[in-house]
Amino acid sequence: MLVALITGLATGALYAAAALTYNVMFSTSKVLSVTTGHISMLGGIFGAWFVSTLGWPIPLALLGSVAVGGAFGLVTDFVAIRRVLARSDEHLWLLSTLALATMVQQAAGLWWGTEPRPFPRLIPQDFSAGMGDQKYWLPILVAILLAVALELFYRRTLYGKLFVAMSEDAFAARARGIPTGRIRAMSYVIAGAMGGLAGFAAGQLTFAYFALGLTLTLNGFIALAVGGLGSNVGALVGGAALGILSAIATYFVGGEYQQTISVGLLMVVLLVRPAGLFGSQSVRPV
Amino acid sequence: MKADSRAFALVAVVIALATLPWWAGDLYKLHVAALICAYWVLIGGLNLVVGYSGQLSIGHVGLLAIGAYCFAILAGTHGVHPALAVAAAGGLCALCGFLLGLPSLRLPGFYFAMATLAFALIVSELTLAQGGLTGGGVGLSVPGFPRPFDTPQGSYWLILATAALVTWLTWNVARSTWGRGLVAVRDSVVTAQAVGVPVFRAKLTVFVFSGFTAGVAGALFAVLQSYITPDTFVFDLGLFFFVCIIIGGRGHIVGPAIGTVVLTALPEMVAPLAKLGNFFYGLLLLAVVLLVPEGIGRVFELLIERYRGRRGESHVVKPDLERLARAIEASGAK
Repeated sequence: MLVALITGLATGALYAAAALTYNVMFSTSKVLSVTTGHISMLGGIFGAWFVSTLGWPIPLALLGSVAVGGAFGLVTDFVAIRRVLARSDEHLWLLSTLALATMVQQAAGLWWGTEPRPFPRLIPQDFSAGMGDQKYWLPILVAILLAVALELFYRRTLYGKLFVAMSEDAFAARARGIPTGRIRAMSYVIAGAMGGLAGFAAGQLTFAYFALGLTLTLNGFIALAVGGLGSNVGALVGGAALGILSAIATYFVGGEYQQTISVGLLMVVLLVRPAGLFGSQSVRPV
Repeated sequence: MKADSRAFALVAVVIALATLPWWAGDLYKLHVAALICAYWVLIGGLNLVVGYSGQLSIGHVGLLAIGAYCFAILAGTHGVHPALAVAAAGGLCALCGFLLGLPSLRLPGFYFAMATLAFALIVSELTLAQGGLTGGGVGLSVPGFPRPFDTPQGSYWLILATAALVTWLTWNVARSTWGRGLVAVRDSVVTAQAVGVPVFRAKLTVFVFSGFTAGVAGALFAVLQSYITPDTFVFDLGLFFFVCIIIGGRGHIVGPAIGTVVLTALPEMVAPLAKLGNFFYGLLLLAVVLLVPEGIGRVFELLIERYRGRRGESHVVKPDLERLARAIEASGAK
């Protein structure tokens, strides 16, 4: 039971990290990118490749994964966001990010293979550690670290304040002389680096698996919608709630109904509180 | 003359499709043609949802799976007459579409797309979990159609007729007040509401209709596959339906139809594309979204415009001076 709980919490931490990634991209562009989960997938796959195949030392592989994530974030902005936001059709970004996500997933499947491959140990530790195993606490640690760093970044730095200004009103921010395009590209790089780091840290839990992206996109989104769009605390709480709930459900009912239960959670929260637990009510345009 | 040439093209296409079994050559090509028609039964209905009312459903493969399993279980396990089983598959999927649409169609764009994605994943999870009903991972064998549709030619004609029927139905919807209302919902919800389009009901109605066609398509698809497992209904298939419509062009019927034909036939004809699979679809989708968001059909329209000259451009506004003078005089006299 306790093992089920801590597995749930670790998986939930990964979902929370994906939700944070969503948040960073959403703050500057008002876009919920389908590629969010695929960033972490790339982080995991490249991490495993760097360490196992190329034989890089762990810190270098970590940097490499973060760099790959950041680069993919920049590519997302360049290919799928920039041109599309210039047009006014609100659905187009969904299509362009979906197209990019599909391409990346298929490319990863062709290159890496469609079977999940093991991820190397990051810290020397005995396999008999049980609940104290690094594959559980690494994702949790990283998710909390990311949330704290993000809060500090928003509150204490000039660039963080630019992000907040853009999320409040991009048009006004632009009128005040903020280079909105460059800030948006920067937010995508940061989001990519975060996703890459989360994918690397959770690699031992999820394995290096090409189809992880879509699951993570969906579950990260559920965590985000439950916690409230735009709220970092909400992302953590939503991710943890989702992870623990599906772990308990798996323990009592069996693993077959995991997806059904997590979507059920989403539906209940959306019916009771459409803005999520920590979100602000959005005003309907009339 | 324009209407004439259109009617001529329509008749030519119908004759070509109806006589396909005689000139297609081998049975495999006929099978691919029947598969395209079965896909089109689903895509035709989905087109009203995605192309006309602008609801981005990427999870219709879930409804396809429900229809296929419903047909296989009723006709195969319980020995119900196939015609009844097809109707039951359609009805069940319409019900599922209703239940899915009722909460999720209220959600904004991305939320709705994620809800349909989740639906597709749930269905594939349940087909694996309910092994007693669906055969689990082993799958189910599907009975064929009864005489006279038990030959490849016969089943092709049956599926073609269903596809034609669906095309006719969607065409009727598209050019009625309903269709215009759906386009209004797609382009601006607020405006549509302001002019009295029942937004939610319109969306839900076409979604239920698309559920029905998806169920029928599932039954036809199952017969063509003759053996179904949960792996038949991977999520990528739902993406494929969606891409066909977007590439063909939203708000048209011919565009998505051509998209379906090309995207199904191309990987069959060109082997390297089949290996790339989704990568190719994604690339195509990205190119269309970035270059011509209106769809490939728009490219042809632009080419035709360049070739023939733009229609309706030479509007010369000429003031009717005499009438103006009379009007001024009349108001002056008052």
